[in-house]
Amino acid sequence: MKKFDIKKYLKTIIILCVILVAVVILAVLKPSETDLFKNTSPEMQKMIEQDANSTRKRVTVTYNNLLIINYASLSTSGAKVMSEKYVGFLGKVYPADKGGMKITGQMVNYTYRMLGCGENLMHGAKLTITLTTLTVLFGVLLGTILALGKISKNKILSKISGAYIFFFRGTPLLIQLFVVYFTVPGMFGFAWRDVFSSSDPEAVFKGAFVASVIAFALNSGAYCAEIVRSAIQSIDKGQFEAAKALGMTYRQTMTRIIIPQSVRRMIPNVSNEFIMVLKDASLVFAISLMDITTISKNIMTSEGSYLVFIPALIIYLLITAFFGFVFNKIEKKFSVYE
Amino acid sequence: MKKKVLSLVCMAVLAFGLVGCGNKDAASDTKTETPEVTPASVATDSSVADDASGEAIDISGVKLISDGVLSVGADVAYPPFEDFAEDGTTPIGFDVDIITAVADKLGLKVNIINTAWDGIFAGIGVNYDVACSAITITPERQETMLFSTPYINNYQSVVLRADDDTEIASFNDLEGKTIAVQKETTSDILMSDYKSTGTINVQIVANEKITSCFTQLLNGEVDAVVVDSTVADGFLNSSDDYKIVYKDTAEAEQFGIAISVDNPELQKAINEALAELEAEGYIQETYDYWFGTVAE
Repeated sequence: MKKFDIKKYLKTIIILCVILVAVVILAVLKPSETDLFKNTSPEMQKMIEQDANSTRKRVTVTYNNLLIINYASLSTSGAKVMSEKYVGFLGKVYPADKGGMKITGQMVNYTYRMLGCGENLMHGAKLTITLTTLTVLFGVLLGTILALGKISKNKILSKISGAYIFFFRGTPLLIQLFVVYFTVPGMFGFAWRDVFSSSDPEAVFKGAFVASVIAFALNSGAYCAEIVRSAIQSIDKGQFEAAKALGMTYRQTMTRIIIPQSVRRMIPNVSNEFIMVLKDASLVFAISLMDITTISKNIMTSEGSYLVFIPALIIYLLITAFFGFVFNKIEKKFSVYE
Repeated sequence: MKKKVLSLVCMAVLAFGLVGCGNKDAASDTKTETPEVTPASVATDSSVADDASGEAIDISGVKLISDGVLSVGADVAYPPFEDFAEDGTTPIGFDVDIITAVADKLGLKVNIINTAWDGIFAGIGVNYDVACSAITITPERQETMLFSTPYINNYQSVVLRADDDTEIASFNDLEGKTIAVQKETTSDILMSDYKSTGTINVQIVANEKITSCFTQLLNGEVDAVVVDSTVADGFLNSSDDYKIVYKDTAEAEQFGIAISVDNPELQKAINEALAELEAEGYIQETYDYWFGTVAE
């Protein structure tokens, strides 16, 4: 391992530090939650007081905190619509009812919702990231087994793996998802929700999440199998022969010589698969989960604001940038074998 | 040689299959332009046509996307308002009957364009002249589009599995339950409001299609479905698996035909047509046909 060369990274470190300091300053100067709600009109406060003892409450209170900026809104439903919005930034509270501040407020709110802040792992960007990571993880594992099966000399094993790959690559992911979520439980008389305790209010989303991880991983396994197979078969045949000449068994040859080398050749393709799954993850809308795309489409239809797609794109780009970086590092690490 | 013969046979089969498909498509294309195969519409269309020839509504100032045709956007997966007939290509349903009768009054043909509920409003005036797809008239929507006079009343209702004995006397009894709604419908908006205001603590599962909600209910993924009473009535007509336990009769909603904001002439013409149909009893007749006699 080379000595850590600080000079090479100096620029990056300085930029990161400046950003960090700026974020900390902005976060500290940001007005508190109580400050944001201080300007609430007496009318609205009266409504809130009425709500306290009512069986049908009318006021929706929203508070979104996004590290350096925060947003609060109070709104009522019904014939007489009242709505008050505030944005807090740099120690000041701005009303966000019109103009630039309205757009800023909307952006904070949309970003907050798309990131899935204040929700568990089954919402927004968190859902997209968890689902994609788990899918690719299980997919590569399953794919390695399938690839070894397909290139094995055992005819039955090879045929089964081939058939599996044929089936899962030849049918659309959306239909596979439907089958796992609707058809299988319907036929065998169970519900995905029952996998979790009945007292868990989020059970329905967790059930759908488990179903989607299963469907996605089964599908991704088929694609990864071909990635792994091509990587293994790209290793020079001479290495097999050399290992055999040294008296190594098939298992030893695979685990010690072939697979470590093929990992590096796999990485670019796996990274491709990862990004594909990342975008395919929006298919979970079909089984009631809300990922970034679904949430942005929802906001578009309910509020008619096309601006929502800008933060959506930025969130996607940030996620791909981060994982692209990670895959780059892994590839560098494994290239020592070549 | 054997292989060659086999592949030739395969190709022939494929080719025949494709030709077969082509024919069917052509047939259905002509059908969709005149979707009047349902008994209700067939029965009344003749009388409507007679009336129309007598005193046609003036549509000289109306802008249409294609001449002589009223293009209608609908999310055709919402029985009994709109659904595909057994052949899978002909749209049928309450909305289809109503809009066909309206177009007849105006001396126009109907072309139903199947579109996703997401973005259905964005297509009005662009891809189709009007949207008629069980659309609730709301103040927010009225800001961006015109509505015809309402042609049906609707209530939010709670549907349970037939074997579920839970008592639901109001939406507040859904406390702690998991419910399914169709995404971005009035049911979704209402239930989200109940949740966001803290009135009740409820888990809302939003689906693209109402049929997904009912499958989830049947599979036991959710405890209840909150849905338009009209849709629930239609579902209950065709299945014994569900029951309606509560209808929110206090807050009625009205469905209207949505029209582009810069086409008030069309709105006026459609309103006249609807008024005539109402007077003739056609709307009530169609309602009874599609929803049974459970109307309030």
